Amino acid sequence: MIETSNITYSYDGKKPVLKNISVQFEMGKMYAILGPSGCGKTTLLSLLGGLDSPSGGKILFDEQDIEALGLAVHRRKNVAFIFQNYNLIDYLTPRENVALTSKLSSWPILERVGLTEEESRRNVLKLSGGQQQRVAIARALASDANVILADEPTGNLDEHTAAEITSILKECAHQMNRCVIIVTHSGELAKQADVVFRLKNGELAQ
Amino acid sequence: MNFMQRAFLYCLRHKGKTLILFLVMTVISAFLLAGLAIRDASADAASDVQTAIGGRLLLEIETEGNYKFKGQDGGTTTYVYGGDYITSPIIDAVSKVDGVVGYNVEDAAAAYYAGVNFKYLPSGWNFGFTKYGDHSTFTACLSSERCSAFESGRYSLVEGRHLKPEDSYAILISKELADYNNLSVGDTVTIYDQFLDSEGWNPLIDMEIVGIFNGTEGTATGGEMLVDQLQANCGFVAYNTLFEMYKLYYENGVEYQSLTIYINDPTKIQNVYDKVKELPELKGKTLKLSMDTEEYQTVETPLETLGSLVNTMLVIIVIVGFLILVLLLMIWIRGRKKEIGIYLAVGRSKVSIAGQLFAETGITSVAAFAVSVLGSKAWIGKVGELLEGSAAGLKIEISAAYLPPVFLIGIGLIAAATLAASWTVFRLKPRDIFSKMS
Repeated sequence: MIETSNITYSYDGKKPVLKNISVQFEMGKMYAILGPSGCGKTTLLSLLGGLDSPSGGKILFDEQDIEALGLAVHRRKNVAFIFQNYNLIDYLTPRENVALTSKLSSWPILERVGLTEEESRRNVLKLSGGQQQRVAIARALASDANVILADEPTGNLDEHTAAEITSILKECAHQMNRCVIIVTHSGELAKQADVVFRLKNGELAQ
Repeated sequence: MNFMQRAFLYCLRHKGKTLILFLVMTVISAFLLAGLAIRDASADAASDVQTAIGGRLLLEIETEGNYKFKGQDGGTTTYVYGGDYITSPIIDAVSKVDGVVGYNVEDAAAAYYAGVNFKYLPSGWNFGFTKYGDHSTFTACLSSERCSAFESGRYSLVEGRHLKPEDSYAILISKELADYNNLSVGDTVTIYDQFLDSEGWNPLIDMEIVGIFNGTEGTATGGEMLVDQLQANCGFVAYNTLFEMYKLYYENGVEYQSLTIYINDPTKIQNVYDKVKELPELKGKTLKLSMDTEEYQTVETPLETLGSLVNTMLVIIVIVGFLILVLLLMIWIRGRKKEIGIYLAVGRSKVSIAGQLFAETGITSVAAFAVSVLGSKAWIGKVGELLEGSAAGLKIEISAAYLPPVFLIGIGLIAAATLAASWTVFRLKPRDIFSKMS
């Protein structure tokens, strides 16, 4: 379980983007955090993923402060990211991108997210947006991380592909017993989540 | 996938950048290798010069205050040297001093000989100075090898051997004179000494030709009036010959007016000078000892200048190489912020990412290093040719001993350049990298 305890965050030390947020995210569920652009959704996701530190409060993973554990260790062991713009390493193939997070064979997981054998050996830049996002999901799934943090994962995809990606993420939460946290401004995507939070004026409400 | 595998894949798939880096590192390592080779070659050359030229001490009679009144004949007052001479015991003692590698006495035109059973090459005029024709001059010496004409390379021995201190009635003649008379090494020639004749002694002396030298060819201008103005007619005679021939004049035995003492290392000349000066055989004698390092200094200065120039060049290569690497890596690493952000997001440590950047340059540099070493045989000769004008005789070679220092300097350069270039990215928080990226 990953939880926040009274976390606040401000860029300039004056106006807080996040205010005293305390929330728990459990395994086996898919969460959606909804909110308009600039409301702090990505900031919250970055704090949960250890990409940044909160101005106040703590983030706990299995009741352990991630600052004490070490943010790099937290990122490596506990969380996996899926980004809107995929963020794949452009000189590697899908198989090699997946191998960044796992020592196991990459092919089964890539097959599971819908890539063909031939596609798995191409340079990632020669794949479509949907295929690249599948590789990003495969990279997240291949890791041992229990928490998957997805930032607008369907933002750049067409409706049909977005539905497929959402389905994979749901499957990941429910069948693989992972905690999937998605930040989005898409109400359609949020509807697929088990729990939906709304972030407004720096405060999180269910 | 570890950082080495990532680095290898990066190099493989960014061929353009890898090629540029490869060329830059090849040039840097080639310059470093050449610099080290030239530095060592100039050091070796300086050492060779020390050994070849050596230093010299000059022991000579002290004439000042040692001429004594001998007598007056009409309007002529005669003074004679009344001091000490350099004798065999003194030479023997000097030759045993640590650091002394040889000695010589060289008196140009010390003897005048006319040919009895051979003829000199003809000059413009034939004066008929003696009943056997004109005479030519011979340089008396202990070791002809140490005579200035041979040391300077003007003459070189082509047959036989050089004159040695223990030789008597032995001469060296020019190849031109030998060919003119069909003479060769081992032949005995008879000379006529007019002075012996005037004293009523046997003037015909047999001499053995022990060596033939060349170097006189082409020196005649055609304007030579006298026989001994032709270099081909002038030879070398063993000094002992003179003492044997004129023994009645040397009632005290062998005596020389000057002695050149050769030492192996001119940098230690002072030390040898002090030892010779302290010899009991020289104590109280009217002889003076002086040092001569002029020849060594003449050659040493350009070699020292070259050595210091190469050291400066090495420092410049390292600095310029570092700056070029930093500049290249900085441009490239700044363009890889997204990649670094992704690696951080998937939990790679900054050390691991820096390791990859270092390894990418390292892998390319090892290949560049190997190519510059293997190709060195092709280009190092050109470097030698370029330097020939300024420092002839430098033997420039790439030694295996250069590989560790060049490799270590290269590794140090790459590590420092990678750190310097990646610092601007690594000091950012991962989220800042992503926000700058987007």
